[in-house]
Amino acid sequence: MAHKLVVFASVDCEVVTVEAKFSNGRVAQAGEVRVLDGENTLLTTLALSKDGTAKVPLDSVDATGGLVIEVDTGGHDNYWIVTPDDIARNCGS
Amino acid sequence: MKRIAHAIVGGLLVATPLFAEDRPQIAAVNYPLQYFAERLTGDSADVLFPVPEGVDPSFWRPKISDISTMQAADLILLNGAGFATWVDRVSLPRSKVVNTSVALSDQFIVTESITHSHGDGGEHSHEGLASYLWLDPTLAAAQAEAVATAIVGKGLAPVDQVAARLTELQADLAELDQAAEAALAGSEGTSIIATHPRYQYLARRYGLSITSLEWEAGAMPTETELAELAEEVADTGATILMWEATPPAEAFEAVEALGLRSVVFEPLASVANGGSFTEAFSAAVKELSAALNGAPGN
Repeated sequence: MAHKLVVFASVDCEVVTVEAKFSNGRVAQAGEVRVLDGENTLLTTLALSKDGTAKVPLDSVDATGGLVIEVDTGGHDNYWIVTPDDIARNCGS
Repeated sequence: MKRIAHAIVGGLLVATPLFAEDRPQIAAVNYPLQYFAERLTGDSADVLFPVPEGVDPSFWRPKISDISTMQAADLILLNGAGFATWVDRVSLPRSKVVNTSVALSDQFIVTESITHSHGDGGEHSHEGLASYLWLDPTLAAAQAEAVATAIVGKGLAPVDQVAARLTELQADLAELDQAAEAALAGSEGTSIIATHPRYQYLARRYGLSITSLEWEAGAMPTETELAELAEEVADTGATILMWEATPPAEAFEAVEALGLRSVVFEPLASVANGGSFTEAFSAAVKELSAALNGAPGN
């Protein structure tokens, strides 16, 4: 097994911010971000920025049922699950 | 054991049970924790273990709805020791999460490191932790106590009932341990091969010598895997192969041809096929003991 890819996504009312880095702390500088819904339907794909992040505007996808964020750097991949409650909780008041 | 139960009662009598109209929901990441929670709560709570049958809970990838259900639970029981990789890929409410092995970290078994290199990162290695703690019933009893403490701390079941059930559960686990110790006594010199590295805590507790392969659970081994097994048999002199799930009959025949006796020992991360946690563990130990003593087996 190689370095593990660590994926994390945080959300506010407007955007899901995806962060990807390797378990040794190095930023994943390139990779594909796939955004899927709860039925595993691909909603959109983005490229990772050189700083290992990607931003998914919430108005660009139907996030009502939550989102699955997959990151694939080619050889390493991982995911993060964003539930409707995650979105609601961070977009409360 | 009574002392432990009394300590819980004494320490947590201040906890105020909050009983809603609906029964509290407890989510567990594996079958042993589900079993312990069910025994400890009786009818006071619903215990969820959402991993589908046939899926390894260590590597299960949950759906969004599964995580929503977990997030809504009153208590989320984690195994710790690196078990259930999905827990690092979701957001779980900290106030509801309990790691049931946090007090056992000094007893964790560090698994073999893998050294490799790629890219410009140079050679490096990774270490992991063996996570099937419950195959040592004394560790299972400690996890059960952590579950009881969490249930009482959250007010999910009456304190006195949980304490009484914990005493009973820990007595069952102690009996399981004593029976296994007796059944497997004198097996230290016998080499065993396992189809997957699941049995580290079982081996340590009962002084077993187990070498592990990386076979797919319940599958017919490939020719390459059988050749590797033959090499392992030659190296270790093993006479027993422990399967984590029942393979096709042809698999039993193939390993018998290598001079191995087969024993199916479910590691119990998922719901057991042969009864409850204690029943399945007891039956597996008896089968292993019979094989070690040369009785006819698979």
